[in-house]
Formats: sequence, structure tokens, C-alpha cells
Amino acid sequence: MNPRAFDRLLKQAVFLPVLLLLLLAAVLLTEVRATFDATKFEQQSDRNISDLEGALKLIIDQETGLRGYQITEDPSFLDPYNRAKPAITAAFERLKNDFAEQQSQEEELAAARRAYLEWTQYAENEQALVQRQGQYRALSLNAEGKQRMDDIRERFAQLIQHAARLRDERSAAVRDQVRRIVETTIVLTVLLGILIGMLSRRLLHRVSDSYVATLKAAESRSEELYNSQQSYYTTLQSIGDAVIVCDGDGRVTFMNRVAQDLCGVNQVEADGKALAQVFNIVNETTRAVVENPVDKVRRLNRVVGLANHTVLLRPDGTEINIDDSGAPIRDQHGELTGVVLVFRDITQSRKTAQALLASEKLAVAGRLSATIAHEIHNPLDSVANLLYLLGNHPSAEDAQRYISLATQELRRVTETSRTMLSLYREPKAPILLDLKDLLESVLVLLDRKMQDSGVHVTRDMPDEVRVEGFPAELRQVFTNLLTNAIEAAGRDGSISVALRAQDGDAGAIVEVSDNGPGIPDEVRMKIFAPFFTTKGEQGTGLGLWISRGIINKHSGSIEAISRTEAEKHGTTMRVTLPAKAASLLTETAR
Amino acid sequence: MLCVDDEAIGLQVRKILLEREGYRVLTASNGAEGLSLFQQHQIHAVVLDYSMPGMDGGQVAAAMRQSNPKVPILLLSAYVSLPEEVLAHVDRYLTKGDGAVSFLENLRLLLKTC
Repeated sequence: MNPRAFDRLLKQAVFLPVLLLLLLAAVLLTEVRATFDATKFEQQSDRNISDLEGALKLIIDQETGLRGYQITEDPSFLDPYNRAKPAITAAFERLKNDFAEQQSQEEELAAARRAYLEWTQYAENEQALVQRQGQYRALSLNAEGKQRMDDIRERFAQLIQHAARLRDERSAAVRDQVRRIVETTIVLTVLLGILIGMLSRRLLHRVSDSYVATLKAAESRSEELYNSQQSYYTTLQSIGDAVIVCDGDGRVTFMNRVAQDLCGVNQVEADGKALAQVFNIVNETTRAVVENPVDKVRRLNRVVGLANHTVLLRPDGTEINIDDSGAPIRDQHGELTGVVLVFRDITQSRKTAQALLASEKLAVAGRLSATIAHEIHNPLDSVANLLYLLGNHPSAEDAQRYISLATQELRRVTETSRTMLSLYREPKAPILLDLKDLLESVLVLLDRKMQDSGVHVTRDMPDEVRVEGFPAELRQVFTNLLTNAIEAAGRDGSISVALRAQDGDAGAIVEVSDNGPGIPDEVRMKIFAPFFTTKGEQGTGLGLWISRGIINKHSGSIEAISRTEAEKHGTTMRVTLPAKAASLLTETAR
Repeated sequence: MLCVDDEAIGLQVRKILLEREGYRVLTASNGAEGLSLFQQHQIHAVVLDYSMPGMDGGQVAAAMRQSNPKVPILLLSAYVSLPEEVLAHVDRYLTKGDGAVSFLENLRLLLKTC
């Protein structure tokens, strides 16, 4: 259940009961109001009755007073009479108001009042008569008085009786009302109680269900997470390379078996330590500390590789060459939460690569064996023959001639030998050399091979072009390229060597071309790869790979341009060399 | 005797050496020239260099065999080993650098047997 639905549920759980209770309160309020009204009515009736009875009593008092006055002629007997008047009037007024709703009673009251007023008229007359000492005791007048009074009494009795009945009705109404309140309260309370109970139960069930579902989901997710974690842990442990995982601060959180072996620490020691404490890397030659890959990843915020020639120093004092890469670990928002570092021991493969390079150098020499054979054996053979002739007592003139020929041939041998040896001499720093000179010396060495193959060579090297470089290595490159060209051209084929300076004295361009079959496009991609050869068993596949390495080391470039069509076929290898090498690395192939 | 070798000085020295021994020597500096001389004169023995421009020693020997299968041919080479098919056409094979004595001795033996 999502948070919003849950919220709604909770609100319902609280507000509905409150709402229902408010309803109950409203109902009770109405009932209580009704009760008050009913009670008011009852009280009104009571008041009416008391007014009526009171008024009647006062009227009777008035009559008594009058009678007294009639008998004694003493005006003090009229005090009650006078005193009663305003009270009676007031009573009549009140009664008139209260009887406003009851038409029949209103009329009755009015009639009663009229009767009373007429009696008061009679009473006034009597008083006047008494004052005048008139015929106040006249029977007819007393009889009138009594008759009137009886009428008034009768009327009042009716009114009181009616009011009493009304009062009874109203009392009953009040009792009814009270009973109704009690009943309503009980019924409503029970109903509401049940309703609230049912509602709450349903809501709570839903809450509980959703809670259980959430718990289950959390449990299952936690289990998935655990399984996934286990799977990754196993995977990492099984990887043949070393893996180190660091958190966002560069502290080690995980090292697989291989990493522990290579670094010479175990997971327990390394856990929580800064990477630099367990992964101590320096540059192989300068021994300067190399930037920590975690720092590098955090700085560049992308996958990085270590610098070349990095060596890992281990606690036991040994060191190994390593090759590696580091990558950032990000959370859902793309924030860096850690770094994973993968590296491997390349000491063995570096030694192998170096051995390969060395052996390739020797192989190059081997390829020039035709030259060695010829350029050394032939002259020496002549020298041997000449020495034999010298040993046979030649004439002085002949001897001179023989010696001169021998000297010539020996010079040739020395020249060849020197050129061969210079192939192995490596200056420590690059020197300024003339490419024209260098190319010519390579061509000389290959002269025999070209003659044997019947290959014709064209030179297009008008001027000297000077660049900085390692002469022995560049000779190796051009020997390789020219040898390839000669072999591609085949019997009666032709090759050409062209040398030009780049514009603005920026270096040199050398092009070695042959008119052989050419290199098809799909092969051209691979020719610089190590161990790729089209010469079957004869080729080592390393020549162009090493040549490219050497050219890269000189900050130059090498490319192959080739056509394979019947009308136009051949290959040109174009080598570009800068006049000054920008930075000469201490290692070639990578 | 016919000597064929593209090395000018070597050829010259060989000629002197052989003439000192009493042989009459004709020289050629390439296979074609050598073959033409072979046709024109009566040659009793041939000393051939292997690596030459145009036709190599093996090819020259094969051509000579066709015209005169019996003539003794000595193949000289600066190389240490040569393929079988080349050696098939020649009677003897020597590497240069063994010395004049060895060369002359081998030549004498060759001429004696044929």
C-alpha cells in the first residue's frame, strides 16, 4: 500500500467515529431543546393556574371587602378591594398573553374578564350607594352581586379546570420527551458503537494487511539482496584479476583473494584502511609515488587506467609490475559512492614481451643473413685466394696487385661489419640523424637480397632530412619495411623509397612502396597486430607490430595504403616522423 | 674452364688463381653471358656462383645440363646450405671461405672422375 492510501486510511479511522459522535451529539441536542420547550409549557400552565386561582381569590377578597363595607360602612374594609385591583388586572394581562395561542380559552378568559368588570361596576355602584347611604341592602342588588359572583366563580372554575387539564397534558409531554431522550441515547449509542466498531475493525484489518504485505515485501527484497550480494561476492572472488572495492572516502571495503595475494595483506587487515596503505604503487624507473587510482577516479569522475610502468611494492619487499583500471561506483542519483579497482600482475608478460623484442632483433639480423653471407664471405674468399697466391712466390708486381685487391676486399668486409653492428648499438638519448643516410645504409645491406629476388629499386631522396631519433631502431623499422616490400614485389617486381621533409621543417615523410598484390581491406586492419603474418610458417608476425611501437616511441605515425585491383595494385607504407620527438617513452610496444 | 660470378673482384682473383694452376679460364659475370660462352666454346668444367642477378646458379646449371649433361659443374656459394633441387644439377658444391687449397683440390678431383 502506498503512503497516500495509508494516510487516507488513518484519516478515515479517526474522522469517521468523530463524525458519528458529532451526529449523536446533534441528535441529543435537539431532544434536549425539545425537553426544555416542553418544560416551559408545563411551567406556563402552572403559572396560569396559579394566576387564575390567585385572581379568583383576590376577586373573592374584593367581594368580602365590599360585603364588609356594606355591613359596617367602614371604608377601611375597602382596602383589600383597592389593593387587589392592580394585581387582578396584571393577572388578567398575563393570562391574556399566555392564552394567545388557545382561541377557545382566550374567548373564555375575555368573557370572564367582562363578567368581572361588570361586577366591579356593580361593586362601584354599591360603594357609591353606601356612601350616599342609599338602598345598598336592597335584596335585588345583593342577589345581583351573588349572581355575578357565582358566574365569575363558575367561569374561573372552568378556566382553572381547563388549565389543569392542559397542565397534565404538558407534564405528560415532558415525561414523554425525557423518555424519548433516554431511548434515543441508548439506541443511537448502541448503533454508533456497533458502526464504529465495524468500521474500525475493517480499517484496522486493512492497515494490518498492508503492514504484513510490506513486511513480506521487505523480507523478500532483503533475501533477494542477500542472494545477489552472495552471487557478486562469489563472482568477485572467482575473478582471475585482483579486485579492490573502496567506499566514497577511499577506504578499502573488499579485496578478493587475488588482490590479497598480490598486495600481501589479508581482508581483515585491509578493511577500513585508506587504499594507499595497502596499495603502494610507484613509477618503475623514477620511483616516484603514482597517483592513487581512487583519487584519480574521484578527480576525473570516470573510468581511468594507471600510468604505464607502475610497480606495486609489497610488504615483504618484493615488487611486481601491474596493469590496471579503476572505475567509479554510483548510486541511483549518479553520486559517487565508491571506487572499484581491477589490476593484474604483468611482470611475467612484460618479461615475455621484452624477450620477444630481443628475439625479434635477432630475427632481423637473421633476415639479413643473405647479406652477411655475401658481403663477408665473398670478400674473405677472395682474400684467402690472394693470400694463397702471395704464398706462391709471385713477382713483385703481381704481389703488389694482389695486396691491393686484398685490401679493397677487406675494406668492404669492415664496412659491412660496421653497418651490421651499428644495428645493435643503442645510444641512451635520441640523436639528430640524417634519414637519407640511414635509408641508404639499409638499402646497401639489402642490395644482395634485392639482386637475388630480381627486384628493381627506385630512389626518390633528393635532400638530406634530419630528425631526432634512435638510429638503430629506425634502421630496424626500415629494414623491416623494405624487406616486406621486396618480398611483396616478388621476382622482377619493383620497389621505391621516397623521402621528403614535412612542410615547415616539421619532420620527415618516408614512403616505401612495392607493386606487389596489395593488402585487402579486411587484412589491412590487422597487419600491425602482434603475431599476425601472411607468410605462414616463415613469418613471426612481429615485424610491423614492433616497427609501429618504435615509430610511436618517436612520436611519429605509420600507415598502410594499398590497392588490390588487377590494373593497379601495390602497397605504400608511409612513415611520418617529427623533427623533434615530443616525449620519448622508455618502452616500445604496448 | 668457365667461371661465372657477379662479384667482379672475386671473379678476377679466381681467374688468376686458376691460370696460375695452369688452367685456361673464360669468365662471365652473369648467367646469360655464361650460357652464351658455354655454347660457343668447348668447356671442360664450370665453376658457378650461386647467387647472381637474373638467373641464379642453379638455373644456369640446369640450362647447361640440357646442352651437355656430362660436363662437370662445381657450384660455389657464400651461403651455407642450398636447396636440394639446386644441388641436383651440379656435381659438387663448395662454400666460399674454405680456402684456395680446398677449392683447387676439389676441382682436380672433379676433373679426374669425369
